[in-house]
Amino acid sequence: MERVLVNIPSDPIFERVVRASANELGQVIGLPPERIEDLKLAVSEAVNNAIDHGNQREVAKLVEVMFVLDHDKLEVRISDQGHGVEQPDFSRRIIEEQNLDSGMHRGFGLYLLSALVDDYELRSSQHGTVLTLRLYRKDMP
Amino acid sequence: MNNDVIRREEFGNVAVLHILSTSVDTSSAAAIEASATLTDMRPITVLDFGNVAFINSAGISALLKFVVSARKAGNKLFAMNVSPHHQKIFKMVEMSRFMPTIEERDLATYR
Repeated sequence: MERVLVNIPSDPIFERVVRASANELGQVIGLPPERIEDLKLAVSEAVNNAIDHGNQREVAKLVEVMFVLDHDKLEVRISDQGHGVEQPDFSRRIIEEQNLDSGMHRGFGLYLLSALVDDYELRSSQHGTVLTLRLYRKDMP
Repeated sequence: MNNDVIRREEFGNVAVLHILSTSVDTSSAAAIEASATLTDMRPITVLDFGNVAFINSAGISALLKFVVSARKAGNKLFAMNVSPHHQKIFKMVEMSRFMPTIEERDLATYR
């Protein structure tokens, strides 16, 4: 098992650093290109969620991303330094015609994340939230 | 209108808006949204995703500003050069209902 740790300040521009790391590590474990795109998007959504909702964009608070490379899977643990979140909504979200004009266009992130990884797990307390994403190598015996 | 994120091309009733940002994400969303507000659309407006390597939910929200602008003006909005991955994502959130894809060769008739 190998681990790669990336810490970023809570500024959305640094999400791109984590995404680039996900891209490289996806290639290292031999994920197919389409799965790497899924991984990048899922990690992006999780990190942005940690920046926006966990750390409330307080730049001094860090988002910690631990990539754990195992023989059969890649696990990504995204941790924030917030005060916990209540019941995040991972349910399917689509663009609703009636919401277009009102500008209520957000909320797709957690749905996309949940649909693109093989499994995920969220643990939240007053000390912060940890979202764990897993993608399995389907070519493994 | 040309700016850092959009390069505009026009012919006949068509405006092609080439997205120049490779990442349509939280960091580029504000500039893309501003472009949607400022861009003068044509009866047929096409967003070209040929340069776009990444789109996330914040980017989708920004792109929806183009959908809103097009609907208000009664214009048709299409997407062009959308990668298979982004087609999948657009289908998941039903973006394709509001911005169907068009092939570059289909625009040739308007040139």
